[in-house]
Amino acid sequence: MAAEPENPAEEIRHLRRCINDLVSVLALPAIWIGGSPTQIVDNLLDALVTMLNLDFIYARLSGSGGGGFTETVRVGATWELTVGQHEISEKLQSLLGNELQKQSTVGRTLIGEREIVVVPLQLGLHDEIGVIVAGCQRADFPQQTERLVLSVAANQAAIGLREASLLRELDQRVAERTSELAAANEELIREVAERKRAEEALLERELNLRQITETIPEMLWSATPEGAIDYCNGRLLAYTGFSAEEVKAEGWRKLLHPDDADQAGQVWMRCFRTGAPYRVEVRTIHAGDGSYRWCITNALPLVDAEGRIVKWHGTVVDIHDWKKAQEELRNTQEELARATRVMTMGQLTASIAHEVNQPLSGIVTNASTCLRMLDANPPNLEGARETARRTIRDGNRASDIVTRLRTLYSKKDLVPQPMDLNEATREVISLSLSELQRNRVVLRQALAEDLPPVMGDRIQIQQVILNLIRNGSDAMSTVNDRPRELTVKTDLDESGGVCLSVKDSGVGFDSQTEEKLFEAFYTTKGDGMGIGLSVSRSIMESHRGRLWAIRNEGPGATFLFAIPCGTNT
Amino acid sequence: MKSRDEAGAIEFPLVAVVDDDESVRESLPDLLGEFGFGAGVFASAEEFLASNSVSQTKCLVLDIAMPGMTGLDLQQELKVRGHKIPIVFITAQKDETVRKRALEGGAVGVLLKPFSDTALLKALNAALGVD
Repeated sequence: MAAEPENPAEEIRHLRRCINDLVSVLALPAIWIGGSPTQIVDNLLDALVTMLNLDFIYARLSGSGGGGFTETVRVGATWELTVGQHEISEKLQSLLGNELQKQSTVGRTLIGEREIVVVPLQLGLHDEIGVIVAGCQRADFPQQTERLVLSVAANQAAIGLREASLLRELDQRVAERTSELAAANEELIREVAERKRAEEALLERELNLRQITETIPEMLWSATPEGAIDYCNGRLLAYTGFSAEEVKAEGWRKLLHPDDADQAGQVWMRCFRTGAPYRVEVRTIHAGDGSYRWCITNALPLVDAEGRIVKWHGTVVDIHDWKKAQEELRNTQEELARATRVMTMGQLTASIAHEVNQPLSGIVTNASTCLRMLDANPPNLEGARETARRTIRDGNRASDIVTRLRTLYSKKDLVPQPMDLNEATREVISLSLSELQRNRVVLRQALAEDLPPVMGDRIQIQQVILNLIRNGSDAMSTVNDRPRELTVKTDLDESGGVCLSVKDSGVGFDSQTEEKLFEAFYTTKGDGMGIGLSVSRSIMESHRGRLWAIRNEGPGATFLFAIPCGTNT
Repeated sequence: MKSRDEAGAIEFPLVAVVDDDESVRESLPDLLGEFGFGAGVFASAEEFLASNSVSQTKCLVLDIAMPGMTGLDLQQELKVRGHKIPIVFITAQKDETVRKRALEGGAVGVLLKPFSDTALLKALNAALGVD
């Protein structure tokens, strides 16, 4: 660059060059768009060093975040010195001090023994961006036009760099924001996936549960804590013929027999208020035959950790056939008891009739004899008196038997009354005496004194005593090598009740038969029905007593029963 | 019917009563006495057989149901032994088959207890008349 010209043509040329340079400089920012600060600086320095024919040009940019700085140096084409960047930087540092950025005055320095004019240019309004230092050996450096170009370039650089930094900041912020959003998005995706997994797991569990409740071969239902039905399984719906909708909430009432629905409802209300287990027997509609069938409904509450009821779960079980069977069984048992009673009474009355017959026979014969004796000539008064006496005696005997018969027949139908076991036993014994005599059975009796009265059905108990005596006698029907002894004893039982035993000297029983003795229809007699002992046992049981048998030490067996004396029945 | 001989020789047919029933053994002899018969009582068929009255017995008043040897058994036994004693059965049992057997066995009659004195007399006469 020539020194300041004196002629106008020269000046015009100079100015034109200046304007060209300015235009170039002003065009630079267009290139800088999108470039990094380094790229911008490099570009600028390259342009300036060529444009103004500088020896070197130095740029120092402040780093982001107040930290370090970056330095760039470009040397001119005519730079011959082998001086490195570092040295230039050092030199400039020492010349302009650490506050290089604040300098704006032109300075001179020695670099590699050459005197260089240095022009610092601030970048940025408050030199926060950095500084550019142009250096040239020429003495007239910097000319006014050069100073103008440099300051415009510095302005442009500042603007460009600011824009770049702003852009970079923006980019950074956008990147940050983007990564934030990406992270948030990922988190969201993860949460969604988790929720979906949880929902799927829940659904699967529900499906499993539903599978279970639909497959279990029972009728199941559930209700809310307020007592409204919210689920009935397929079996229950099929059984009742109602749809899931119809049964919900209070719809369950429609399932029950009208007579049972109200009571069930009351119990249900009590239960879901108190949490007590729900259990009722109700008649439920059965779609299959359009009838009501007895069912038992059970439900239990499900409670959470705080003990609040969250759900009721219940079952319905059809017990109709069972109930009917129970009724029939009861009826049959009652009938059997009745029949046995009648039969045994028949046996008793047969014994009684037989008993009565005896004295009757005697009465007729003796009375006939008496009359004949009175008709004789002379009348046989002695004989008449004797025969008359016998007649009266036998008449009384018959009367006693009839009295006993009357008491037996009196309708004390299964109502327990206090009875004297000894008295009852004596009656049965006297009724059985002739039969026992005919069978050559020797009867011994040992009835304890002061036996307390027991509550019981006299007829039934006498049935049992007769049964035992008969059995004892029958057991000895084949015994001929020893006396046929039958011992009837009454006594106090250890628990305060009364006890009766009938001991025979008959054939006894072995351990195998022992089990079967009291079974219904078990008999060793050809003409027996085999219900004597089993009915006797149930009679005893209905008196809260028991009947059992033991083998004697000697021959035969002993059958015993005991009845408690309780004051309540 | 034979009666007491004024001459003193006592001749009256012996009727044997065989019954395990005490009231029968107590009452019948007096009635038979009024009829003019002598009576012997036995508590069992065995007792009768063991006695020495068998050959002298002109008529047997016999219970059917007895422990040990029954009335029907005795009926058979007497036949076996060759005694042709007419039998009037007395019984409390109304059993038709038993009655049949007794009659088939050759009994003169089967009386049901309690029987009237006239019925007994009629049967005894028939038994002794046949003899």
